[in-house]
Amino acid sequence: MAQIFDRSSNALARMSLVLTGLIVIALGVTLNELQRSPWVTRQGQRADQPVPFSHKHHVQGLGLQCQYCHTSVEKSSYAGIPPTKTCMNCHAQIWTNANLLEPVRHSWETNESLVWTKVHDLPDYVYFSHEIHVSKGIGCSSCHGRVDEMPIMYEQNTLQMEWCLNCHRNPEKNLRPTGEIYNMAWTGPSELKPEWCAVKKNSQAGVPTAQDVTCTATDPASSGGAQLASMQMLPVGLHGQATARDAGGMAVPATLHYEKFNSQEELGKFLAGQYHIRTPRDLSSCEVCHR
Amino acid sequence: MSDKQLYTSAEDERRDQEMSTNGAGGDGLVRLAAQPEKKEGLTLEEVRGKLNGKTGKKYWRSLEELSDKPGFGEMLAREFPQQASEWIDPVSRRGFLKLAGASLALAGLAGCTKQPDEPIYPYVKAPEDLLLGKPMYFATAFPFPTGAVPVLVKSDAFRPVKVDGNPEHPYNQGSSDALTQGTLLDLYDPDRSQHVIYRGETRTWAAFQAAWRSTLASKKASSGAGIYLLSGTVTSPTLAAQWKKAQATFPNAKLVQYDAVNRDSAYAASKAAFGDYQDAQYKLDAADVILSLDADFLSSAVHPGFHRLAKDYANKRRLDGTTEMNRLYSVESRTTTTGLKAEHRLALRASDIVPFAAALAGTLATGGASYSGSDDAKKFLAAVAKDLKANTGKCVVIPGEQQSPQVHLAAIAINEALGNVGKTVVYTETVNPLPSIQTDDLKSLVADMNAGKVEWLVVLNSNPVYAAPGDLKFDEAAGKVKTIVHLGSHVDETAQLAHWHLNGAHYLESWSDARAYDGTVSIVQPMIDPLYGGHTAHEIVQAMLDNPDLSAYETVRDTWKQQLSGKGDFEFNWRKTLHDGFIAGTAFQPKGGAGKAATGSGQNLPAQSDALEIVFRADYNVYDGRFANIGWLQELPQPVTNLSWDNAAQLSYGTLAKLGLAEHDVVEISANGQKVLAPVLAVPGHPDNSITLTLGQGRSHAGRVGSGHGFNANAVRSSASPLFFAGASLRKTGDTYEFAVTKSHYTDHRAVFAGGDGSGTHSIEGNEAIDRAIVRYATLEEFKQNPNFAHEGEGKEDPEADESMFPAWRYDQNAWGMSIDMNACVGCNACIVSCYAENNIAVVGKHQVQIGRNMQWLRIDTYFEGDLAAPRAHFQPMTCQHCENAPCEQVCPVGATVHTPEGLNTMVYNRCVGTRYCSNNCPYKVRRFNFLLFSDYETESLKFMHNPDVTVRSRGVMEKCSYCVQRINGAKIEADKENREIRDGEIVTACQQACPTNAIIFGNINDRGSKVRKLKEQSRTYGVLADNNTRPRTTYVAEVLNLNPELAEA
Repeated sequence: MAQIFDRSSNALARMSLVLTGLIVIALGVTLNELQRSPWVTRQGQRADQPVPFSHKHHVQGLGLQCQYCHTSVEKSSYAGIPPTKTCMNCHAQIWTNANLLEPVRHSWETNESLVWTKVHDLPDYVYFSHEIHVSKGIGCSSCHGRVDEMPIMYEQNTLQMEWCLNCHRNPEKNLRPTGEIYNMAWTGPSELKPEWCAVKKNSQAGVPTAQDVTCTATDPASSGGAQLASMQMLPVGLHGQATARDAGGMAVPATLHYEKFNSQEELGKFLAGQYHIRTPRDLSSCEVCHR
Repeated sequence: MSDKQLYTSAEDERRDQEMSTNGAGGDGLVRLAAQPEKKEGLTLEEVRGKLNGKTGKKYWRSLEELSDKPGFGEMLAREFPQQASEWIDPVSRRGFLKLAGASLALAGLAGCTKQPDEPIYPYVKAPEDLLLGKPMYFATAFPFPTGAVPVLVKSDAFRPVKVDGNPEHPYNQGSSDALTQGTLLDLYDPDRSQHVIYRGETRTWAAFQAAWRSTLASKKASSGAGIYLLSGTVTSPTLAAQWKKAQATFPNAKLVQYDAVNRDSAYAASKAAFGDYQDAQYKLDAADVILSLDADFLSSAVHPGFHRLAKDYANKRRLDGTTEMNRLYSVESRTTTTGLKAEHRLALRASDIVPFAAALAGTLATGGASYSGSDDAKKFLAAVAKDLKANTGKCVVIPGEQQSPQVHLAAIAINEALGNVGKTVVYTETVNPLPSIQTDDLKSLVADMNAGKVEWLVVLNSNPVYAAPGDLKFDEAAGKVKTIVHLGSHVDETAQLAHWHLNGAHYLESWSDARAYDGTVSIVQPMIDPLYGGHTAHEIVQAMLDNPDLSAYETVRDTWKQQLSGKGDFEFNWRKTLHDGFIAGTAFQPKGGAGKAATGSGQNLPAQSDALEIVFRADYNVYDGRFANIGWLQELPQPVTNLSWDNAAQLSYGTLAKLGLAEHDVVEISANGQKVLAPVLAVPGHPDNSITLTLGQGRSHAGRVGSGHGFNANAVRSSASPLFFAGASLRKTGDTYEFAVTKSHYTDHRAVFAGGDGSGTHSIEGNEAIDRAIVRYATLEEFKQNPNFAHEGEGKEDPEADESMFPAWRYDQNAWGMSIDMNACVGCNACIVSCYAENNIAVVGKHQVQIGRNMQWLRIDTYFEGDLAAPRAHFQPMTCQHCENAPCEQVCPVGATVHTPEGLNTMVYNRCVGTRYCSNNCPYKVRRFNFLLFSDYETESLKFMHNPDVTVRSRGVMEKCSYCVQRINGAKIEADKENREIRDGEIVTACQQACPTNAIIFGNINDRGSKVRKLKEQSRTYGVLADNNTRPRTTYVAEVLNLNPELAEA
């Protein structure tokens, strides 16, 4: 009786074994990639919005401060999506006939909400709080990217758990002086562009973070005039660098002992201590975000 | 401690399970799932026999456990007997593989599904003071017939999400109760009536107004003859004022108030004693000796002044640096938590309490009254009389609301004679503005209806068709009324008969006012626009006045205009009142004038000692039926019986045996020519020859949750003796009925080698309560001699911290812990309902409760001790202990339950794959598993109710007490923003917040100054099962009883 399988089928059998292994591995890799892909995370995707609102135009072009619209970012877990009223504050007077703004006017007339699509959408089992991040020295751009350069809003980062943990396990690398929170262009100090920080004399526990530390990008030792100059730049400085430096502003006493920081690492360490940032062990505990 | 027999409420627990598996003896089974096996139920004789043979201290939770019957072990071998049927369907190997494969594939896919787009709907114009994400708190009051409960409502984006006591109110000081907590779900009840209905058709409110006003206009000539208002107890001074004004125009119109649970006895007695309706206010903070004459003042808001009485009672038992404490005696006609908390308890039939009270009054006040009770009762009476006499001016006698007026009169006389008036009791104006003898009024109303005198019957927030005593035949009388209008929150039994049904507004949606127990006025202000455009009684009565369109808001303002204009600007004072929630200084002043010592002895002779007496009481959970559609309350295990979803004919084991009944038998109770079918449930400590029926169940039109549970006890109630009467007859029907009793789901299956006894009859809570020292207590004398009693003796040693193979955790900053004072806990269940609301806990339904799947994160274990007929009991709130050596953490294969740096044992729902290993390994049995999709994601109105800070758990996920981690994190964020430590008392868990007796204290045990640390340093503090070296973060403060040596059993 002839053999059912001839010799060549041995090779086939071996090959199919290898192939099966490869397919399993490929499937794993694919799923892994898929899971991290923009298709799932929506990183970089521009959602269809009722109005093609340009953050670039409003922030970089016109110099609106983030909190003009996102009013509750320092006070609540939500940063807040502005009500139609906020749009109409200006657009009742400028661009009153623009076609693009028709949905805004419609909302205003009919008292119906503009329906935006959420761009930064965390899963419902994640409890994120804006207020604690901005009051502990995490700037808007650390998570949201250069919003001032986004004509249409998109998600800069994956907002996946591993991305969150990258920072929660090592918060120093993103900490900045609270005066720089809304500075979109903040990049951290370097040899060329050092930062000077000082602890206020009356520093004590129980004082909100923002009032505790004062920082400046100009050498405070050079002269008091330099500081004044930087303050005076405020009205014109719409591009980030010269937004409000510190909450104490004008009242910085000259007797402060400033420390110079040449790298984000040093600054982050200093700020983590001054801002009483919890330890990575605390910050990466599950109940911080999941309840 | 005495060498006494102890037992726990596992009793009923086991019993329930046994009955459910093998009690299939009856013919017609009223059960959910028929069981294949046929086995005999446990008879009482067997239990008795076993009990008699036992010596030594023993707690029990169920009879079967007590008797150690082999059948019980067998039953327990199947952990959830009823569930067995779920696994018999033949799943072939192939089918199984298919399912497994499919689920694997799904698991893979589920990981890659992307979230759907989520829309954002911003405001068009944002409200000025709204900060999305931060809750706001508004003060209002929950109007309740026994006195308003001042509340502070947590509002998230203007949706009420939690109702708690108003911490600034002098009456309840922040505490609440199960019913008040439950009103939140009442607001969002999807079955609430949503429209005005006229003869089955939807109409507008304006259409009703037109009809009502034209009727009023046509009746003006006859001064309103033929117009009758039937209202639930009027609690609003404004409504009372409106009605008084309306009477000027319509003197012939009548207002009848009726609630099935009312204060007729108290009012009748005060009228007899003082010539006027008065309320008694008891001041337990000044009382060293308390005698309750059937007054269940520690169980729930059913008793007037519960919050205050419970708080004052517990404050005298803290033993904080002192060895002084109060002593409570209780004479009662059913087993209540008040009786079980009492140092000495005497169970008497309701009618036997009348001569007891009279004899006590005779001994102490009027002099010379003979008493022909049993020897025990005589001894009790003598001891109580002596103790009361020794504490004149520092003692108080509290009569039960559902006792006869004679008992109230006796209490008035005794308190007067002992010089307590003005000290421990004061008499004031009535809290309710229009006190009346409700049953009498209802009787004359029904007579008028039958006589055809009633043309328009306007029913305001009342449900007489359901709640009227059966002998009045209200529904028949209603047929003779031309037009019936029903204002109510639900299309209930009365609405079925009514021509007009008006959808009522909830108290959280409307303007009104009410007085708390102490008389302080609260303004009831709306928290939310009426969800369904409901209306209130104010509007209906206002239509009878000159300015019919005046809103409830305006009328309430008018009522208090004068009061609030006294000092300064009215508008300012009004806003302050709304902010505070009450008008300060409006508490009643005690009325002068002593009561006449009208003891009315002789009347209402007790029934013959062997006659069967029926007692009617409000249900702890659904009250008189108004809360029947609140799932939280239906599922809440009642105090003492742990019965949920039903009511039962409660009787003693002795009576059970005498009548030849077994538990779960359905009996037909006939009285007053009416009949009702009721399943029987034996209760430890219930007096013999007495049956307690609770009102409020057996609703036919309560809604999807409340309809069809239990039986309507009102049917056998008689308007002549609505509280209790003798002479009912009882017939066994041969049917049996399944209860959902939550006690017995936790049993120990360990073999001998593993530390168990191999019998399978051990329950962690029950049998081991003594040898594992789960409950530790001492008498005051023992405590004085040995303050360290809670740590000496078998099972009471605490292992050293390093006695573990697992490395110890370090807690650098905060270490959260809880302390529960067993002396203060009165088992009222307020904490459980508060937990429901705070943590979005699902309601599972009766069947699921029967098979042990109830989801409450917190339960109150009741450990009975001693004689079946006269037990003592201990209440132990049991929830996740947040062990430092947590057995659950070590067995979770996916790290879904983990230890946090602050010592929380936290659940990560999204990681949980549902192996349930953690639950198996938990010695406290406090983990709850979502076997099915219990959470309601669909119902629109319920979405509003959920706490936005807590995940709504889906199927297949384990959950448990989190120490309210959302509140901890909220406080941490606030503290971190301000660069400070969290202050002691800043974090209050939901259970702690609701607790009327401050039995639960939460805080940071690393903080030397914290309250919880101080409690944990007390000698009485112990950890449950701490000998396991679980190192629980929740500890208990052992109970101390201030026994009267004369009554302390030898």
